[in-house]
Amino acid sequence: MKTRAQYKRYTRSKAGNFFYFFFLTLFGLFSVLPIIYTICTSLKPLEEIMIFPPRFFVTRPTFENYAALPKLLATLRVPLSRYVFNSIFVSVATTILHILIASMAAFVLSKLKFKGCTAIFVLVQFALLYNAYTLAIPQYVIFSKLQIIDTYLVYILPYLPSTLGVFLMKQFIDSSVPDALLEAGRIDGAGFFRIYRQVALPIIRPAWLTLALFAFRDLWSMQPQGTIFSEELKMLPTVLSTISAGGIARSGSAMAATVILLIPPVTVYMVTQGSVMETMGSAGIKE
Amino acid sequence: MSLKTKKARGIERLKIRYGRMFILPWFIGLLLFFLIPLVSSIAYAFSKVDLSNGISMKFIGLENFKTLLGTNPDYERNIRAAVSSFFTSLPIILSLSLIFAVVLNQKFRGRLLARAIFFLPVIIATGVVMQYIMGNKIGSSGSASGAALSTALGGGDSAMRFSAVLTKLGLPDRVTLLLNDYIADVFNLIWSCGIQILLFVAGMQSIPDQMYEVSKIEGATTWEEFWYVTFPMLGNVILLVLIYTMVDQITAYDNPVMNQAYDFVGKNIDMYGDSAAALWLYFVIVGVLSGIVLFAYQRVFLRRWN
Repeated sequence: MKTRAQYKRYTRSKAGNFFYFFFLTLFGLFSVLPIIYTICTSLKPLEEIMIFPPRFFVTRPTFENYAALPKLLATLRVPLSRYVFNSIFVSVATTILHILIASMAAFVLSKLKFKGCTAIFVLVQFALLYNAYTLAIPQYVIFSKLQIIDTYLVYILPYLPSTLGVFLMKQFIDSSVPDALLEAGRIDGAGFFRIYRQVALPIIRPAWLTLALFAFRDLWSMQPQGTIFSEELKMLPTVLSTISAGGIARSGSAMAATVILLIPPVTVYMVTQGSVMETMGSAGIKE
Repeated sequence: MSLKTKKARGIERLKIRYGRMFILPWFIGLLLFFLIPLVSSIAYAFSKVDLSNGISMKFIGLENFKTLLGTNPDYERNIRAAVSSFFTSLPIILSLSLIFAVVLNQKFRGRLLARAIFFLPVIIATGVVMQYIMGNKIGSSGSASGAALSTALGGGDSAMRFSAVLTKLGLPDRVTLLLNDYIADVFNLIWSCGIQILLFVAGMQSIPDQMYEVSKIEGATTWEEFWYVTFPMLGNVILLVLIYTMVDQITAYDNPVMNQAYDFVGKNIDMYGDSAAALWLYFVIVGVLSGIVLFAYQRVFLRRWN
C-alpha cells in the first residue's frame, strides 16, 4: 500500500496528463498556425483566395498554384536555375567558411590562454548585442572601399565573423574538449593544426552542426538591400518578390513558392535537431 | 634544467604564434564588418552626415541629440513605448518559456515532435519568407502577425468578435482592450520563445539525476523539487536566456525606435546622422537598464544559490 502511494506521487494523474496535452496543444497551435495557414492558402483555388474576409481553411484544395509556378517562372529575365544556384552556392559556401573560421577562433579562445583572450571574448559577447541593421550604412562604406559591391562576396564576407558562432563554439569546447586529450595529442607528436583538425573538430561536431543550422537559416532567406544590383547574382527570395508583385491573383502562387522555400531550412533542422540540443546545453555553463 | 624550461617556453611561444594565426581570419572580419562600422556609426551620431556625394561628415557635437529631444516629440514617446514593452515582455517571455520547457522536458509520447513544433518559429522566423507568411506587415506595426492571422481565423476579425463577447460579459472597456492586445501579442510572444525554450530544456537535461534522487529520498514534492533543485541549477542558463531575450527585444524589427530611425533615412538620406544619434541614445538607455536588471539578477539570485 505504501509503495503504491509513493508510486502514485511520482507519476502524473490522468488530469495531469490531460493538462499537459491541453497546454501543449493550445500554445503549440500558436506556433504552427501561420505555417498551416500558408500551406492552406497555397492550396486554395482562385475563387477562394478572392473571398473577403479570407477564410483560414481551404474547402476545395487544388494544386493549380503549384502547377502555375513553372509558367510564372518561365517569364523571369534570368533562368530559375541561376537563382537556385546562387542560393545554394552562397548558403553552402558561407556556412562552411563560417564554421571553419568560427571554430578556429573559438578553439584558440578556449584552449590557449594568451594576453587579450578574455578581452576578445568580452568583445564577442558585446557584439552579440548588435543586429545587422544598426551598422548597415557604415558597413556599406566598407563594402565600397573593398570594392565588393555587386559580387558574391557581399553576401559571404560580412557573415563570416558573426559572433554567435564563436560564442556557442567556445562554450561547447570549454565543456567538452578536455585539455588532457589535447596534451595526449601533442605527446603523440601532432602539430597544432593536426590537433585542431583530428582531435578537436570531431568532438565538437554537435556545435558545428548547430552553427550550420543557424547560418543556413540566415543565408537562405537573405535579400541584401542596396548591395546587389545584377539580377544574375540575386537569390531565390527575389523570385518570391517577383511572383507576389503580380497582385492578389498571384498570392496563391506566392504562397506555394513560400512553402517550397521553407523546405530546405526545415530539412536542415530535422537533420541537426539532436546536436542543437546538445550545444545549447553547454551554452549556459559559466566561463 | 634551464635548457628544459627554455624549450618549454619555446613550445609555448610557438603555440601562441599558431594561436594568433588561427584567430586572425575571424578577427580581421570582426574588425572590418563590426568594429570599424561601430566606431564610424558613433562618429555619425555626432556629425552632420552628407551621403549625396560619397560620404562626408562635419562634426557638430551634440546637435543631433538636441534636435531629437528638443524638436521631435515622437522620439521620446517611442523610447518610452520601447522601454515599457521591454519590461512587460521580458518577464512574460522568460516565464512562458520556462513553463514550456518544464512541460517539454517531461516524458510523454511525441515529445520530440512537440519540441520541434515549438522550435519551428526559430527556423522560419527570419527574412523574406517570414514577411510573406505574416502578411507583409513586419516593421509597420507591433502585432501584425496576430492581426493578419486573426482576420483569417474564423472568417472575420476574430479579435473584434472576441472583444464583443467580452463586452457582453459585462467587463469594463479597459479590461476588454487590454485582453485584446494580449491576444494579438500572444503570437509575437510565442514566436519569440523558441531559442529560450531550447536553452531551458537543454539546461534541464544537464542537471544530474542524482540531484532528483536525493530530493525524492528527502521526500520533496514535485513542486518543491522544481523550486529547490531545477530552478537554482538553472541559474546560469537563466542568465543566458535573460541576456538573449533582452538583445532580441531591443533589436526587434517591430521596435518603434528602430522604425523611427529607419524613417529618418527613408525620408531624407541626409538625416543619417540623426538616425545614428537616435539609435545610440536608445542603446545607451536600454543598455543601462539591462545592466541594472542583470546586476540585480546576479546579486539577488546567483549569489544566494552559489
